[in-house]
Amino acid sequence: MLNNGMKPKDRVLAALACKKLDRPPVVCFTQSATVDQMDAVGVHWPDAHTDPEKMATLAMAANKVFGFESARLPFCLTVEAEIMGCTVDLGKVDRTPMVKKHAYDSSSEVDVPKDFSQLGRAKAVVEATKLLKKKAGSELPVVVGTTGPFTIAGHLVGTENLLLWIVTEPESVHKFVKIAAEVENNYLRAIAAAGADVIVMSDPSASTDMLSGEMFDEYAAPYIKQSFSGIEGPKNVLHICGDTTLLLEHMMSTGVHGLSIEEKVQPEKAVEIVNNRVALVGNVGVVKPLLQGTPDDVSREAKRVAASGFNLVAPGCGLAARVPSPNIKALVDAVKK
Amino acid sequence: MSEQILEKLAEVVVKGKIKEAKPLAEQALGAGITAQTIIFDGLSKGMEVVGQKYEKKEYYLPQVLLSAQTMYAALDIVLPKLKVGEAGASGRIVIGVVEGDVHDIGKNIVKAMLTGAGLQIFDMGRDVPLKKYIEKVEAEKANILATSTLMTPTLAGMRELEKMLAEKNLKGPVKTMIGGGATSKEFAAQIGADAWGYDAIEAVKIAANLLKK
Repeated sequence: MLNNGMKPKDRVLAALACKKLDRPPVVCFTQSATVDQMDAVGVHWPDAHTDPEKMATLAMAANKVFGFESARLPFCLTVEAEIMGCTVDLGKVDRTPMVKKHAYDSSSEVDVPKDFSQLGRAKAVVEATKLLKKKAGSELPVVVGTTGPFTIAGHLVGTENLLLWIVTEPESVHKFVKIAAEVENNYLRAIAAAGADVIVMSDPSASTDMLSGEMFDEYAAPYIKQSFSGIEGPKNVLHICGDTTLLLEHMMSTGVHGLSIEEKVQPEKAVEIVNNRVALVGNVGVVKPLLQGTPDDVSREAKRVAASGFNLVAPGCGLAARVPSPNIKALVDAVKK
Repeated sequence: MSEQILEKLAEVVVKGKIKEAKPLAEQALGAGITAQTIIFDGLSKGMEVVGQKYEKKEYYLPQVLLSAQTMYAALDIVLPKLKVGEAGASGRIVIGVVEGDVHDIGKNIVKAMLTGAGLQIFDMGRDVPLKKYIEKVEAEKANILATSTLMTPTLAGMRELEKMLAEKNLKGPVKTMIGGGATSKEFAAQIGADAWGYDAIEAVKIAANLLKK
């Protein structure tokens, strides 16, 4: 048993290596910022989506304000899509950026940007990662969030089109997800080189709400693997929303070190299936109990997740910007105390 | 003969044979089958099977989307032939994704299932300003306003819609149903929505219940 008093970074890396600890770390690997954090550190959305300095400052707020044992950036899943030509609305203080308009149809020739990580907000994220490493990297794990290739492809052509093409023109699906994976691989190399300790790739459009396990194996998994190929150093975590009970094995087949999942999966069931082969991250519900419940509800859920054997306790999905601070405090306290 | 054509139409929808939809719909009309019969005894039956297959996880979203498109292709031919008053559609539903959210796949599936159930749908699209919903509900004398959101910041819009309906004394005559990732049964009760649906299959049952009231 590794005892208390560990640095958050060491605790998180040990937990991601599935080591036995006196308690799991409590982290936020998905979108971590809330309006209260923004007010506390004087940095707000949408500025923090584009300015590396502000991005790094807001990333640290999750630790500074609430005691999460991680610092995570950026705060959305639109960085890649925007560089590839989608129209993105950066939102406002309590609303995350969204893809408003897709860039391609199935017959489009796609210009793959050569030095992707030097462009647009990808460059800002890489810069912010370096800053965060310098400012907090000895204490806190530097966690960088990116978008999974199936989700990026959905942004490029419209997710509904992409899904439909699985039946009508599967070769177009492969074409776009592959392009996304190439771009993503270039981006991940730069993020790793900038000093990320953990890369959390979210691929929400590859969830069981959209795809069967077989479809996931054919259209999502190979490209997740390709995105991570040759990325040495950081621990790799795959986040997928929805009820992933039946998808856990498929997610593991991508070779990642950790799986981040939502509360729609029974935590005990997830632990039983995964059986410490990779680290489990999650899965305290963001809407219920975090957004709409009481601190007591949150505390109960967090303790249940920790007791079930999750390697890291975390919100099951990105925090909504208006999650009440007392609920977040209750989450952190329930695990630490 | 006509029964065969109707069965074939249902099958075309189930299997998503989109290219066959329009010719077959024309053939059905040519054989003297009424638009109403084509919709209810052909297309709707097909969508019902699609719903069952989705529930049993034999079908996933890609197949459902294709079946929906196939149904819409046939409806393009059939709907203009529908005589006024013959619709049989006992319900008029205004549907859309609330302002601030662009996630509309779930809404589109619900729309397909409700269309398949023979209801008349007015699709507002996504990221729709709240007052547009109210205007449409009034203009079309809708029975149900159905809205969805996957995101949490946009939940407030659903609460606001309830207020706006109440101010116009439309709560009661117009029922509301909500759905989408960020919503829940408790939330629906909290804001005074008349119903919450877990998925598109449930949405059809809920709409039928609301229309009985």
